[in-house]
Amino acid sequence: MNVNRFLAATIAQLKMTFRRRITLFWSLVFPMILMTLLGLLFGRSISAGTIAVVPVHAAAPQAVMHVLEHTKGVTVKTSPTAAEAIQQVKNGDRDAAVVFVPTGSGSYRVRLFTSNTSADQAGIIKGIVLGATEGVSVAATGRAPALIFQPQSVDSSSLTYIDFLLPGIVALSIMISAVIGLSTVLVNWRQRGILRRLKLTPIPLAEFFAARVTASLVVAIMQVAVLLLFGRIAFGVHISATAWAAIPVALAGCLCFLAMGFAIGSIVSDPETGDAVGNVVTNPMMFLSGTFFPVAAMPVYIQQIARVLPLYYMTNGLRDTTVRGLPLSHVMSDIAVLLVMTLGLALVGLRTFRWEPKTKTSRTRSRRRRSTNVPADSPIRQEGERAL
Amino acid sequence: MEPAISITGLTKRYASSVAVDRVAFQVENGEVFGILGPNGAGKTTTLEMIEGLRKPDEGEIRVLGEQVWPDPRRIQRKIGVQLQSTTLFDLLTARELLMLFATFYNRPDAERRADEVLGQVGLETKSHDYAETLSGGQQQRLAIALALVHDPEIVFLDEPTTGLDPQARRNLWDVIRAINTDQRKTVVLTTHYLEEAEELCHRVAIMDSARIVALDTPAGLIASLNADARISYTDEEGTHALMVRDTQAAVLDVLEQARERGATVRDLSVKGADLEDVFLNLTGREYRE
Repeated sequence: MNVNRFLAATIAQLKMTFRRRITLFWSLVFPMILMTLLGLLFGRSISAGTIAVVPVHAAAPQAVMHVLEHTKGVTVKTSPTAAEAIQQVKNGDRDAAVVFVPTGSGSYRVRLFTSNTSADQAGIIKGIVLGATEGVSVAATGRAPALIFQPQSVDSSSLTYIDFLLPGIVALSIMISAVIGLSTVLVNWRQRGILRRLKLTPIPLAEFFAARVTASLVVAIMQVAVLLLFGRIAFGVHISATAWAAIPVALAGCLCFLAMGFAIGSIVSDPETGDAVGNVVTNPMMFLSGTFFPVAAMPVYIQQIARVLPLYYMTNGLRDTTVRGLPLSHVMSDIAVLLVMTLGLALVGLRTFRWEPKTKTSRTRSRRRRSTNVPADSPIRQEGERAL
Repeated sequence: MEPAISITGLTKRYASSVAVDRVAFQVENGEVFGILGPNGAGKTTTLEMIEGLRKPDEGEIRVLGEQVWPDPRRIQRKIGVQLQSTTLFDLLTARELLMLFATFYNRPDAERRADEVLGQVGLETKSHDYAETLSGGQQQRLAIALALVHDPEIVFLDEPTTGLDPQARRNLWDVIRAINTDQRKTVVLTTHYLEEAEELCHRVAIMDSARIVALDTPAGLIASLNADARISYTDEEGTHALMVRDTQAAVLDVLEQARERGATVRDLSVKGADLEDVFLNLTGREYRE
């Protein structure tokens, strides 16, 4: 190992990475687009909807309206009459309508009209309105309730969807860059004789690959920083103070996926197959590892599959440190699993590694046959024969 | 003084065939040595065994007085190699690529060295171009520059001009001659162009079907034919080719005989004897490039 040589090789690898526009697209731009799309599609679920309320000038209805107006995710719009409010729900302009019907002696019946179009949303709104009316009732009677209902979510406590999504996108982009990046590069280097050419120089191949790995790790850290910043600026994601601990997680994850790319690149023979295998391996992992939706929401057998996928551990580790505020000590187990998987995949890669294309001799022969059998197809050969 | 390269009994077998069969030759210091032969003759395999890329099944290779095998890494520092496939990293400029390779050889003067070899192969104006944007001839020059970057004593060029247009080929010949005369390096090259072997090489080994069938200076090889020219012509019996010593007498003879028979001679041509005739004489086959 020679420090200057290693640094020069690393810098050369970084230059090549940054000069290849398509690489930058997949590692940075594509994740941003994906996140924006998913954010627009599903991020809205934090908003329960718009409720039409027919205001009544009395203490209790006013209090309910006040509570609803201050409930996160609910927008309150007033409507002059009950009929109009219900019509608005029918039209789809409002998600629900609240009408106060006096029952005498200053009490009111709260009638809620919801649409059948979205049962989930109706349920959420029902819960919100029920909570508001009960709260107001309790406050009005001044009697403490016998039972206090206190809901609390175990998973993604206080996480909005976009908070949940951001670390998943970071993990995803690191995975794609590492797996596809190294597998295609390795196949390419072997196919084009670059590995053989390097074999003739004094740099050990291990050192050359170490330079490539280092360059990839630098890119991974950059992906973490840029994408977190993007989430913060574009979507207001709250980044935890423990986010620095995402770096060791990202590095371990990147190493693991580089090892996977190395194994794929060693096993397959041509760039097209390498690309296909890379996609076949990474695409299902995206959907099974809790990148876009919590694994807990999936069927049990998928949860079991997730536990053998490296992306699951990387996503968890990144989520815990960047948005859940958990310390490095909490994700050490994720890092350990990733490193063990790295070792296994690297062994597969080393056992199947080849300096030269598999079909070298037959390929050379067929190429030669072509060039001798078709002597007149190029002006070069014609000139060669004339020169005789 | 010890020869630059000394090879005895070199043999390489593949599953179904023998690629190199008991090849032996020596390359002297300071010469341009050519291995000439049709495609598939075993030139590249021979070269790659000398370079330490392919392990021979039998035989001994000494380069600069040292055994290449079993540990070729030591000798690889002293030789420069241009492989047949020359594509390298696309997105580095010619100069960056040369500096990177110079650093691989731990040269502290990587920048200066890169500029020097760019000059030696005539690529100064292309130093900031990416390898992928260079023409075929320029890419070959770059590959040769990479072989020169650590100032090796021997330079191996595997079919350096294959696939180049005639002008680019001639330009590359100038570069190769300069490596030999100005840089005083021993050059070993393979080629399937007869003209290239004749133009560039001090000595030529003609290789056919895994064996060396002749080895001499181009002039010596041609002299061995014991003929000055080849006469070819077509008459009613078909096409004839004759190797002749006395060209004038032979041509007159052909015409005279035809006239006596009342035949017509067409497509009569006279060509000075060259390596093509040597190959035909040695193998009984026409040489096809």
